[in-house]
Amino acid sequence: MDTLTVIREFLVDRLEIDPARIQPEATLEELQIDSLMLVELIFECEEKYNVVFERDVRSPKNIGELVSIVDEFVVEAQKAKQA
Amino acid sequence: MASPHRVAVTGLGVVAPSGIDARQMFGRLVDGESFIRLHTIDQPPRPVTQPAIHCADFSPEAHIGKALASTTDRSVQMALTACFEAWLDAGLSRDKEGRHDYGVSWGSALGSTSTWERGYREMWQNGRDRLPPLAVVLGMSNAAASHISIQLGLGNSSLTYVAACASAAAAIGEGYKRIRNGEARLMVTGGSDVPLAYAVMKAWDALRVVAQGDADTAPASCRPFHPGRSGLVLGEGAATLILEEWEHARARGATILAEVVGYGTCSDHSHLVRPDRDGQIRAMRLALDDAGLTPDDVDYVNAHGTATVEGDAIEVDSLRALFGDRAAQVPVSATKSMHGHLMGAAGAIEAVTTVLALAEDALPPTAHLDAIDPACEGVRHITGSALRGTDARVALSNSFAFGGCNAVLAFRKAAPA
Repeated sequence: MDTLTVIREFLVDRLEIDPARIQPEATLEELQIDSLMLVELIFECEEKYNVVFERDVRSPKNIGELVSIVDEFVVEAQKAKQA
Repeated sequence: MASPHRVAVTGLGVVAPSGIDARQMFGRLVDGESFIRLHTIDQPPRPVTQPAIHCADFSPEAHIGKALASTTDRSVQMALTACFEAWLDAGLSRDKEGRHDYGVSWGSALGSTSTWERGYREMWQNGRDRLPPLAVVLGMSNAAASHISIQLGLGNSSLTYVAACASAAAAIGEGYKRIRNGEARLMVTGGSDVPLAYAVMKAWDALRVVAQGDADTAPASCRPFHPGRSGLVLGEGAATLILEEWEHARARGATILAEVVGYGTCSDHSHLVRPDRDGQIRAMRLALDDAGLTPDDVDYVNAHGTATVEGDAIEVDSLRALFGDRAAQVPVSATKSMHGHLMGAAGAIEAVTTVLALAEDALPPTAHLDAIDPACEGVRHITGSALRGTDARVALSNSFAFGGCNAVLAFRKAAPA
């Protein structure tokens, strides 16, 4: 499952919104993702990929940015696990 | 100081096994119907089974929506549901801006017990080393008051009272005081608790004060004042009373269901679990003094009446002492025999019951009271079904908690418009 799908499934379940709204260009603000929910999203991704991110996720503007950060952190975390 | 403001009750809400409707619940209580059933939590190390109040049909998503339901403990879900119902009952609108003269005063003895227990099981039983990030805000003891405040736009005080079984009575009393003293115009008051968590049921069982029963006998297992009583029945649920400054209620054309006229609270300062006669009398007198009334004015008492051997006898002794020669004429009932002991919500479900008893001129009974313990004689026990047509004007609702916390509320029937 790719990261966008993980995020989409979480938000659809939590916010009961149309999955079509969750596109890379959609901002966190318009989807009403606050700082608490962002922490939850990060946790959800960590659980799905079975990793723990070493760094804090900086505030992404939109879903596309969030996906990029998560993917980058997953690679980092997986490397750290193998080391 | 300006003269105190009168305080009206303008809305009621409950979450009970009878449904999300205070009057529907009351209608079944006046018939002496018990909601108690045998309840099992089938978890390691071995299942725990007790007679209990379990709101099996409660669907949080249907009442508060999926988004809120997925980010709240069951006790908060019940609190919000009862508050939404009471808000609607009071004829209040949810599409207005928040108000800084409206607040919330909530009671909970246990907080978000289910959330914490689930977290402990995940870590210590299932070997997980992380908890989800929402655990803190799901589990905080003031979560119910916070969510109520946010959902209903209540910008005045948002406080949670923790006083064991007197939590909700204290919350209602403190909310009443804020309005009476001119610090708020409307307070959402009440309580919620979900003691049906494995460790909570086991802990109460260990105290040897929980009623015993099987599937057949569970409904009649809680028998306050009965010679064969064996203890209390844990219950989950929530209850809400909308309290409102009298003229504010009248100005918006609200239906006034009853008036809160007094509140008395004090500490036994003597023992953690043994009730104290003097402390109970003092709390009832404080409530009556606050109301400008005397014991002779009281027409009904909704007793704390948990069905413990010692507690019931001491409470009746207190009532005999308070009412003196008149005690045998004062109608008394313990409705926990039907709706169970809702812990931090007990005072609220009993306050709702007391308000409706006055409003509908129907004093609910103590169920299953086919014999009276000699130690509990000397008051007018209501047995069988409701006592109707007494034209009761003033009622007390007693809450006498572990820790020696006493809270008594005095209500007066609303005068006809």
